Amino acid sequence: MLRRNATFLVISALTLAAAFAVWWLRGMGAVRHALGATWDLILTVLPSILGGLLLSAALRQLVPPGALARWMGAESGLRGLLVATAAGMVMPGGPVAAFPVVLVLAQAGADRGALIAFVLAWSLNGFQRIVVWELPILGPDFALLRLICGLPLPILAGLIARWLPIRWTPADAPGMRPSGKTGP
Amino acid sequence: MTFGVLAIWVVALAALALCARRSPVVARRAVVDAGSALWRVLPVMLMALPMAALLAELIPAGWAEDWLGPDSGMVGVVLASLAGGLLPGGPFVAFPLVLGFLKAGAGPAQMVALISGWAILGMHRTLAWELPILGGRFIVLRLVASFALPVLAGLSAELLLPLFPGIPLR
Repeated sequence: MLRRNATFLVISALTLAAAFAVWWLRGMGAVRHALGATWDLILTVLPSILGGLLLSAALRQLVPPGALARWMGAESGLRGLLVATAAGMVMPGGPVAAFPVVLVLAQAGADRGALIAFVLAWSLNGFQRIVVWELPILGPDFALLRLICGLPLPILAGLIARWLPIRWTPADAPGMRPSGKTGP
Repeated sequence: MTFGVLAIWVVALAALALCARRSPVVARRAVVDAGSALWRVLPVMLMALPMAALLAELIPAGWAEDWLGPDSGMVGVVLASLAGGLLPGGPFVAFPLVLGFLKAGAGPAQMVALISGWAILGMHRTLAWELPILGGRFIVLRLVASFALPVLAGLSAELLLPLFPGIPLR
């Protein structure tokens, strides 16, 4: 709750500062032009956002995240990274949803390579983001080129993460709390 | 209404129907979840949405074509990757900005690097969400494993670009 309000305040301050800078450097006409462009954008994306949020909520009821984890352990090899990549791509929702799912996967036995692959596949090639934002705004040709270039990267990052001597366990995460207890 | 919007609504309603077949309670929980998510997301979004347009007004004319043009090559790809990491906010800020850059004459391969840098390195998301939930050690592991990948994406885009005649080059 606190973080949400802090995010809202920071974003608001940045936007107001940007508006002030535009007014100062480019004049009132430029501010009005920017707000007009924003209004057009809101009308374009609002139907996608409503549909995307509904899709995200419905999928969360249908797919228990723990069910995927046994496929992503340290001995899962390349197949584990592929599964993690696929799971990251179908993972709907923003960072609010995705990072907590990483904790759940980690607790259920996914290793660090699979977790890195999951996070990267979600942030880079998340299906929902491509459909809601990239495709309508940048067009199918560019979106396809971008997707092809991004497709192998999560697996690569997962392999590198397994090879790196940086160990990470769920206990290192501040968000990890024993179930049923609220930490200090 | 574009094809993308239509597709997402068809899939969303299908998923909701699957929920309802399991039990009406599950379907109602999905709808309530979606509503509360909208309530949480919308205020921040409405404040963040003007930022892209305002920043676009501030970026000096010719910046994109001078530094990130189709002929800027490796240097442009590296610059774009770093700029992507500094890009603020969610997709509603990033993608309209990229569209603006493309229209202003930035190279498509450089924009692939920019989007990849934004998705992989994105400081805003890393600090706002990843750090509080997963901790600094996870971020170090993830960044060491992936910091070079946006450049790789840009270079592959450079190689593949001739196969995409639908992407205009200016």
